[in-house]
Amino acid sequence: MAVIRTCDLRKEYQDVVAVDGVSLDVEEGELFALLGVNGAGKTTLIKMLTCLTAPTSGDAFVMEHSILREKEDVKSVIDVSMQETAVARNLTVEENIEFYAALNGHTKEEIEAAKAALYSAFDLGQVKGKRASKLSGGWQRKLSIALALVSDPKVLFLDEPTLGLDVIARRELWKTIRALKGRMTIVLTTHYMEEAEALADRIGIMKGGKLLFVGTKEALFAETGKDNVEDAFIRMVGGDLDA
Amino acid sequence: MRNSIGRIATLTKRNIKEIIRDPLTLIFMLAMPLFMEILFYAIFHTMTSQFEMKYLAPGIAVFAQAFLSLFAGLLISLDRTTSFLTRLFVSKARPYEFIFGYTCALLPIVLVQSVLFFVVGGILDSSFWSVTMLLGILLSLVTAFFFIGIGILLGCLCTDKSVGGVASVIIAGQSLLSGMWFPTEGLGKGMLTLMRILPFRNATMLLQNAVNGYGDLFADLISPLLIVLAYALVAFISAVLVFRKKMRA
Repeated sequence: MAVIRTCDLRKEYQDVVAVDGVSLDVEEGELFALLGVNGAGKTTLIKMLTCLTAPTSGDAFVMEHSILREKEDVKSVIDVSMQETAVARNLTVEENIEFYAALNGHTKEEIEAAKAALYSAFDLGQVKGKRASKLSGGWQRKLSIALALVSDPKVLFLDEPTLGLDVIARRELWKTIRALKGRMTIVLTTHYMEEAEALADRIGIMKGGKLLFVGTKEALFAETGKDNVEDAFIRMVGGDLDA
Repeated sequence: MRNSIGRIATLTKRNIKEIIRDPLTLIFMLAMPLFMEILFYAIFHTMTSQFEMKYLAPGIAVFAQAFLSLFAGLLISLDRTTSFLTRLFVSKARPYEFIFGYTCALLPIVLVQSVLFFVVGGILDSSFWSVTMLLGILLSLVTAFFFIGIGILLGCLCTDKSVGGVASVIIAGQSLLSGMWFPTEGLGKGMLTLMRILPFRNATMLLQNAVNGYGDLFADLISPLLIVLAYALVAFISAVLVFRKKMRA
């Protein structure tokens, strides 16, 4: 079953076409990685799917709810962790979770349960009393992703979740994301090819707002004649492999 | 409706924590104006009536409110630039709930400001004590709406880097155009007209007249109140419209 289905989705900003007629299906429980150079349209596509911006034309369905006509229903089944670390700076880790859970209408018992689950899944218990602004970049990003799980989404959007993290923090976050696989459908955008290779079930490659390729990494290798995602990506978007 | 009130309460609680845990907020909104109140009273109150406590305390109360524009703007612009607001926009909260959340978080600070400056004023000058202080405190909530509205607007339009510079225009406006730091008698007609039509002098006069008593109810109280309310309304409506536009963008 396609949890996400986009139908000729298009977004224009004045004279710039950010997303150009994207049609895509993402299946239930899969981790789908969107790759593309800067300005390829990945973040705009996610913003449309999370109802943060309206498409210029076309439509998309998340769990069969239209992003145009059923925004409230879409919002009730999704959550997002944007590329910036979106946490309340002067609140502690515990208060951040409590705040986000309360905003999502959780009862006191549900908030306690959410806290316990996230402390366990993300090892956040050891920093629960620390203010978010005092955490390292890796911990802040973990908290940011943890907050996206508070609402127990069916579809999770991760926009460049490991951007700017050192290699150890990135690998730790991969472990966390891997643990989420299968529990929900995940759409992840990234600039790191090895991240897509390590985590994704299927890969989509965007350039200039268009979706150039959708498939498994094996299919990508077969189509480009390369044996790693980075070379295959460069071949696909028309870059110079010898540069 | 119940869900909406719950979300406003949650946003308000978070915003209060963000504000009071920033030491700069407490320094600029409480400590610095309090220091100025004590200093200017101690040095100048015998030299010029301008700095008698009955004028100084209400003036300082409004002056301190000008910093609400800066800190409300800073809070919102930081929420925007860190994508914290974007994350919240994915929740079911609506634009007006965010605006209420920011506003309700600042109103207790306004109350603390007014009570603090009036009580300290009363301690320094016992003749300042009066039951009309309560009217002054009540009306300080009205004048605060103007500065909060401007702050929300700036937070929507400026980055966290630029909001300080733009908000300083409001703070400078309150300082220079309120007439609290210098006598207005010698000023030119044009300047006086400007002060009369802008909200800064009217906000200060409103609180001074509320606390000290008034001769002409309309000229001394209702007219400045209406002018401040008009500016507050324009600031708030603009803030809501810009916030909604940003939320949809």
